Amino acid sequence: MLLRLWPEKTKVSFMSLRFIALIISSAALAASAIMLTTKGLNLGIDFAGGAVIEIEQPDDISAQDIRDVVEPLIIGEVQVNSARGTGPNAPNIAIVRFKPQPPVGDETPDDAQNRAGDEVSAALRELIGAERFQIRSEASVGPKVSGELFRSGIIALTVALGLMMVYISFRFQWQYALGAVAALFHDVILTMGMFALTGFEFNLATIAALLTIVGYSMNDTVIVFDRVREEARKYKKLELFKVVDLAINATMSRTLLTSGTTLLALLSIFLFGGPVLRGMSFALIFGVIVGTYSSIFVASAVVLLLGIDRGDKPKREVEGFQGVG
Amino acid sequence: MLNFPIWKVGLIVVVLLWGAILAVPNMFSDGFLGIEPKEVSDPTNEVAVAAYEQQLREAEDSWWFLPSGKLNLGLDLQGGVYLLMEIDPAEIAANRLETVQSDIRSALNRNPLVERNPPVQNEDRLTIEILNPEEDMDEAIRRLNRINPTIGTTQTELFRVQQTGDQFIQLTVPANARTALATDAQAKMMEIIRRRIDPDGVAEISITPQGDNRIILEAPGEADPKRIKDILGQAGRLTFNMANLDQSAIRAAVVSGRPSPREVLVDSMEAGQILINRIPELTGADIATANRCFDEANFPAVCFRLNSTAATKFYNLTRNNVGRNFAIVLDGVSMSSPTIRSPIPGGNVIIEGRFTIEEAEDLAAIIEAGELPAKLNFLDERTVGPTLGAESIAAGSRASMIGLALVGVFMVLAYGLIGGFAVGSLLSNIVLIIGALSGFGATLTLPGIAGIILTIGMAVDANVIVFERIREEQANGRSPATAIQAGYERALSAILDANITTFIAASILYLVGSGPVKGFAVTLAIGILTSVFTAFVVTRWFTVLYLRTMRPKRLAM
Repeated sequence: MLLRLWPEKTKVSFMSLRFIALIISSAALAASAIMLTTKGLNLGIDFAGGAVIEIEQPDDISAQDIRDVVEPLIIGEVQVNSARGTGPNAPNIAIVRFKPQPPVGDETPDDAQNRAGDEVSAALRELIGAERFQIRSEASVGPKVSGELFRSGIIALTVALGLMMVYISFRFQWQYALGAVAALFHDVILTMGMFALTGFEFNLATIAALLTIVGYSMNDTVIVFDRVREEARKYKKLELFKVVDLAINATMSRTLLTSGTTLLALLSIFLFGGPVLRGMSFALIFGVIVGTYSSIFVASAVVLLLGIDRGDKPKREVEGFQGVG
Repeated sequence: MLNFPIWKVGLIVVVLLWGAILAVPNMFSDGFLGIEPKEVSDPTNEVAVAAYEQQLREAEDSWWFLPSGKLNLGLDLQGGVYLLMEIDPAEIAANRLETVQSDIRSALNRNPLVERNPPVQNEDRLTIEILNPEEDMDEAIRRLNRINPTIGTTQTELFRVQQTGDQFIQLTVPANARTALATDAQAKMMEIIRRRIDPDGVAEISITPQGDNRIILEAPGEADPKRIKDILGQAGRLTFNMANLDQSAIRAAVVSGRPSPREVLVDSMEAGQILINRIPELTGADIATANRCFDEANFPAVCFRLNSTAATKFYNLTRNNVGRNFAIVLDGVSMSSPTIRSPIPGGNVIIEGRFTIEEAEDLAAIIEAGELPAKLNFLDERTVGPTLGAESIAAGSRASMIGLALVGVFMVLAYGLIGGFAVGSLLSNIVLIIGALSGFGATLTLPGIAGIILTIGMAVDANVIVFERIREEQANGRSPATAIQAGYERALSAILDANITTFIAASILYLVGSGPVKGFAVTLAIGILTSVFTAFVVTRWFTVLYLRTMRPKRLAM
């Protein structure tokens, strides 16, 4: 017997749950907005500027020793975190972070950032001893670039959303486009809220993850919409409420299977992909779950709310890769 | 949908083979193929070096049937330094204007004399006062326009000449000249940076322009960003000045803070401060070559040779000044201030200092590469050590294997034999992705590996959509052949719409993303293309083959 995540020929009325879903989504959106405004995102150095130095930490050097040599060199808060090495011979790791440094004299802010980074690594080298000193990674981002990176990230998200909306209006109808974009905003805001809540670092890779979530959620939504369009054409007299339910039921098995395989792949990144990919895969896992939910309860519900044009000749159809159905 | 004419089959096989061939070189290390460049034990033995190079070439030739393109690993995977640098266009303009000051002075002083006060430069704006504006203004403007230089290979003129008030002329650098200067400086600086970082031209560093005033340096395998920044942070302005080591004169200048107008006080590497002539005798442009050598006491030093005109000039200078001192000044610091014991012919000069070998090599590279036209600002710097890179590769491949295995098991559990076909096409998908990445010479980054794993998860989507349709059609009582036919036909529009939208997201990511994120976008985009191909063509082909050979009454799914 083969695995079935969803029984055949179901008639679950998803759309009668839409008001409950509306309450859940609104509450989650409100919570995200509150988290984002009060706690805020833990911006990584890509967006906030500053420096992160990750070194191997010998057993005889404590985090406090590191703090003691770094703090006098830095204006503002210094974070020192130690992490146990994974694996049999893996050394322990110390991660030193500090914020962008104010310029002294006629330095530019970028110069100040550089000087501080160099001074800190020189001090650490001296503390640990040149022969044992191993930099695992080091990054220092000046205020100029971090601002640009943040802006380009936001622009990327906006442009992608806009283009997708145009594509959907072109291939379907504008009601579908609005539904899809509502779902995407929902997913992006909830994911960002989740980042604020958990304090996972929000960086360039997270923006990449958000865009992928947008792509995935859109993918999922389009599959449902495609079926709505098909069923609406097949059962011209059936009320839209039932058509949408029919489409969701018909695609539910696929939805669960695809989410399942994608989540399996993502879980393996999250668990085995090492610390660098953890934040990104966390965002993706959360986004896939939220994106699957939103295709049904946000995107489809909005289409139901707006209604679709069910004339005999659909106006916005284009020739091309239209299926037979 | 079930028709596979011979040309279609041929095409599928060609595409898959092509992907496999492009992907194959990644399975072998250079060491395995015997083409890994090694250090020759005695680099000075030219015969041995030539023999080794010949051997390496022959080893490479013996693998002629393998494509040479291998996946480039990003800096986050192989370790190295990434540096984003910027030059300030206003600073370049100001520096350039300063260099034409002497031309301006001589143009205005030529007969008939146009009287004026010395020009005053304020950043990139030069103000000249004309004492007899009624008579000389027009002539002065004409002369200034005549000496207006053009920038680089463009026809853009450096400054605009404008009369301001009754007796002033103002030279400004217009916006188009600034852009031309920045582009020109960017190209020059990339060359200087390369010569400084990699004087022997052996390292695999990449120096690329970004915008019109930024430069990106990527140095794989380099673990010390500080050294690179030190080498690039110096302007590299080298001058030879006559020096005054008279202690009482120096002390007087230090106390008053005001040396004589002809002299300036500079720090000396040897001891405290010394006085040097304001106007240099020779500059870095007069140097033909520089390299690391050893002094008489066998300490590392920097030797350089002047070009022939400068060598004559230097000979005359030393002949006329026996007994006095000259200083070799780098960026306002005297490196060495020897006493001239006898005239020095030939133009060979040595800078002695207590250098380490590495310091002497870097210094020689800086001197030979020449002066940077403007200061480099370091905006973004990232270093990944070799251990972290290796760990990331290990973690990435472990995650891919596990992800692939999980997805494969899941598909077979859900769709049985046909699910197995999907797994087969998933494997060919991965081969195609790796082949395409190698073929394009794209760079694989850690987020790129995540992109591949995500594609593994999402690639089955197209298969799943089709299979679900086939299940439905079969449940409606259709035969396997018609169910498969209908399943593929009906799934097409959904699959294309869904993947085009994701492709839009990947393209935007590629356009605005940088570094690792760009790598992620590339693998995602390639993955979308290959997964639609493998799901829609390869799986279908497998299924049709199965249908024809086994003629099942019913598909178990």
